[in-house]
Amino acid sequence: MKRLSELEYGESGVVREIRASQHELNCLGIRMKKQVKMITRQPIKGPVVVVVDDMEVAMGLDTAEGVVIETGEHEGS
Amino acid sequence: MADTSRTVLMMGNPNVGKSALFNRLTGGDAVVSNYPGTTVDYTKGVLIENGQEYEVIDAPGTYSLEARDAAEDVAVRLISENPGATVLVVLDATRVERGLYLALEVIERGCPVIIALNMIDAARERQITVDTRVLQRILGVPVVPTSAVSGEGARDLAGMLRKAQKVDIETVRARADGQFDTPEQSGGCTGCGGC
Repeated sequence: MKRLSELEYGESGVVREIRASQHELNCLGIRMKKQVKMITRQPIKGPVVVVVDDMEVAMGLDTAEGVVIETGEHEGS
Repeated sequence: MADTSRTVLMMGNPNVGKSALFNRLTGGDAVVSNYPGTTVDYTKGVLIENGQEYEVIDAPGTYSLEARDAAEDVAVRLISENPGATVLVVLDATRVERGLYLALEVIERGCPVIIALNMIDAARERQITVDTRVLQRILGVPVVPTSAVSGEGARDLAGMLRKAQKVDIETVRARADGQFDTPEQSGGCTGCGGC
């Protein structure tokens, strides 16, 4: 498990927990069990851009820090 | 406040083709582009269908009814200012799920709703098929596939405007969980009240 903001470029994972504003992320298509893929992560305050359902979604770094992602291959390592 | 029952408010996520569809319906010339955020204020137009005159309002794209920027605020304000209006929710047929969030919010608000499944040509090209019958049955509102670019479905949509339905969100929830209060009728009825 890692924060969305900690995903490596091109790394994918599944949303397991949302600690940021549920409403804001839900209406952008980021929900529990959704597959996300990291596109870019800018320093300082973001933005963090991920792909969900073939769509790019941008958010602030603080929002991305509130999303917990399960990444398959790194699980348990 | 003026009678808004013949007002059609077009709502949907950014970049789903609301303005293109608006132009199709009204012959208007709202600015259309292929990127989100083009419409930041609203445009009004008139549609005459079967002798009935409708005032059509093209709202800026919004992801939810909780505004996060000025353009979204315009969209949200329009829905409060036109309480009796029919809300035409425009969905991108290639990303139906994403637009359903807003569609459900509008239904929950108690507005009469009709859904345009726009960009159906693009969906077809990408081999995405949408079961409009099931969608219609679960939501309880008419769902009309359209392509604003080619004009496909625009006439059907205009004809269906008067069939927009107010739906109790709890019944939508129940139906989404597979609980249908009435058995599915034969003859292709989807229970959307469109007949």
